[in-house]
Amino acid sequence: MTDDLGTYAENTWCPGCGNFAILNAVKSAVGSLEAKGVGRERIVMTAGIGCHAKIFDYLGLSGFYSLHGRSMATAQGLKLGNPDLKVLGFCGDGDAFGEGLAHMMYAAKRNSDITIVVHDNGVYALTTGQRGPTSARGYKGPSTPRGNTEDPFNPLVLMLEAGATFVARGYVGMVKELADLMVAAVEHEGFSFIQVLQPSVTFSNRYAEYNETVVPLEQPAASFDEALALARKTETLPAGILYRIEKPSNERALYGDWNPVANHPTRDERLAKVKAAVGRG
Amino acid sequence: MSRDAFTYIVGGKAGEGVKKAGSTAANLFAAMGRHVFQMDDYPSLIRGGHNFVAVSTATREITSHYMKADLVVALDKRSYDAHREDVAKGGVVVYNSDAQEETEGVGIPMTAVAKEYPRPELRVGVSGAAALSAAIGLDKDEMADLITKEYKRDLENNIPFATAIYEAVAEKIGGRFPLEKGDRERPMFTGNTAIALGAVAAGLDVYLAYPMTPATTILHYLAKNERELGIVTMQPESEIAAANMAIGAAAAGARAMVGTSGGGLALMEEALSLAGMAEVPLLVVLSSRPGPSTGVPTYTEQADLKMALGQGHGEFPQIVASPGTVGEAFDLAAELMSLAWTFQVQTILLTEKHLSESRMTVEFDVDGAAWAEPRMHDGGPYKRYADTADGVSPLLFPPSSETVKFTSYEHDELGITTEEAADITLMHDKRNRKFATVEEHVRGLRTVNRFGSSGPLIFAYGSTTMSVLEALRVGGIEATVVQPVYLDPFPVWELEEYRDMSPIVIEQSAAGQFARLLAEKARIDAATVIKRYDGRAFEPEELAEEIRRAA
Repeated sequence: MTDDLGTYAENTWCPGCGNFAILNAVKSAVGSLEAKGVGRERIVMTAGIGCHAKIFDYLGLSGFYSLHGRSMATAQGLKLGNPDLKVLGFCGDGDAFGEGLAHMMYAAKRNSDITIVVHDNGVYALTTGQRGPTSARGYKGPSTPRGNTEDPFNPLVLMLEAGATFVARGYVGMVKELADLMVAAVEHEGFSFIQVLQPSVTFSNRYAEYNETVVPLEQPAASFDEALALARKTETLPAGILYRIEKPSNERALYGDWNPVANHPTRDERLAKVKAAVGRG
Repeated sequence: MSRDAFTYIVGGKAGEGVKKAGSTAANLFAAMGRHVFQMDDYPSLIRGGHNFVAVSTATREITSHYMKADLVVALDKRSYDAHREDVAKGGVVVYNSDAQEETEGVGIPMTAVAKEYPRPELRVGVSGAAALSAAIGLDKDEMADLITKEYKRDLENNIPFATAIYEAVAEKIGGRFPLEKGDRERPMFTGNTAIALGAVAAGLDVYLAYPMTPATTILHYLAKNERELGIVTMQPESEIAAANMAIGAAAAGARAMVGTSGGGLALMEEALSLAGMAEVPLLVVLSSRPGPSTGVPTYTEQADLKMALGQGHGEFPQIVASPGTVGEAFDLAAELMSLAWTFQVQTILLTEKHLSESRMTVEFDVDGAAWAEPRMHDGGPYKRYADTADGVSPLLFPPSSETVKFTSYEHDELGITTEEAADITLMHDKRNRKFATVEEHVRGLRTVNRFGSSGPLIFAYGSTTMSVLEALRVGGIEATVVQPVYLDPFPVWELEEYRDMSPIVIEQSAAGQFARLLAEKARIDAATVIKRYDGRAFEPEELAEEIRRAA
């Protein structure tokens, strides 16, 4: 692990992969957060399984390389265990909206104070290009040789409807903006969701299309309905913070200023509590 | 048979206050200083059906309810029909004469009396305490004290109602069953409360569970008492979430536990394998009900033994143990939490509905509870998966200036993904060494309980142990009972003396999973396997007969 947040792991992403931009954005974001007083030791990451998840090996941050579709649960567990941690979770689109859809919806619903960055390339790349939950109808992959027969999910709409209190879209073609989104997401107390448009150069190269359609969004929507309208746009794709509101986070709602790890009792303290509980019956 | 226990059965529709009537009786007996065992039998529904509670009490240790009752209180006709055959010689049924025609027993117009008060449908259940009080010879003041203590609310209606029932019952069978006082009052707990408190005693910080009978009341107890106990509970969206969150919490340094039944454990298996690879400590409570699949949710069975021993893909050490009594459930929950953190393994406390939800008089050894304390990194550069002699790599939790990487992938010592042959071998060997490390430690624990030293040899485990011991008591049978508490590592070192003997194996499994385990692991082949797999726990008198036939 090195001072520049790198590691000795060999990077095996395809040349030109959008994941490089995300990696650079994270490094930049961690630097900005450190400048704001959030030390890197407090930032822990999680990753699911897939191309996106290799970022775990490339980043010199603590954390948990979790399971496909479960990393957002792991992330919530880390936060639940020690709410002083800033949890930065990376997911693929298959992770977040395929195998892990329920965990995503509930993380947003309960407003768990974590950040989830979805590397949305619209394809299962690491397993050689099958359709994913955000693949377009008609997408041809090895499991859908005659074309995808399902319409894609709109991740932003899903997260808005589920109750996410910070909903943003980033694009790997806009690294500085993406880093800023990550900083804002980590600073937001509550569930922060960033959809990152991240073309797979091998299976779903949409750089040209995105360069045309992605447009910067100057400021968040003034209302939920306006945010939904922004999220539903297809001819242009607004990138930025679509929606941000304040609401008590899950952890704060559950236990206020308590911290399970920091408040872990001594044995004597705990046995006294157990004896009292036995006495109450 | 030497019947020295008194048994009370109260039955009625769900929602009539049957459970309350049962626990009230149990608390009364416990307050008299007697030993008590309370078993709740209820179908999977909210209103209607047939619920009953069997409460047995004695002035000596008692480890099972009986189904032959001295006093049956039937709040409805269905209960009368269900339990008329369950009346012991000399026993009596008090029934609701408004719910059926006059018949054998003591008919009391419970519904008509209840209708003199508001909400009669909720009041009928109070008849149980009133009838019991009359039958065991309490005076009216003692009965009123009991109602006050147990029902607490609406006493201006409950006490006059109970008094009317009491008087009607006392006229017919007042003082029929005098009960002597026991030596001292003991608290009563269910197995699930014992498990919860044992884990808390060992340092539990976070409990995560999705509702699934018969594990659910662990969540209820801990959620209700979380502030007083200094812990956090949460009910997430699924067992999958519960297990993965618990693993995340543990990676942050929090002592975490999950609890479920067989179907929930099936959903957790992927996460348990993750805990095996990432070497994250986790205590898992698996409380069984009859399977396969949804099975019979509110009844008991021991058919998840194989699952507990074989869960999770890939190879990694784990510990599985099963308590024989409510008291042992407390000790074992603490011990398994401690072991999980000592060795960074998952530990499974395997139990059944019959222990989880039955309630008995018990005195916990709180000061003797194990404490969960991990081996921590003592400074310098950190490697999450440092290759150590005993396979246990010291822990360090973020936030830390060192990088702490937990991972599901095969990894090098720092937790970076690897596909290198040498790394894969190194980590397999490290995890494999933990099997031996764990076993060496477990050898120093009480892994097997033995009861008696003569007569036929009987093997049992889990809550069946309680049924067997009570059967021996009531049957006056001298026998040697061997109860393996630990099931993985299986304590073969304790069982060598029984090799080539042909014991009686008693278990609640149609396939005889425990008998197979004994044969496979310890080369102990059962002469007879006494099985019960109708969802009900063994009944002591019936089991005594079966043991006698098999011996």
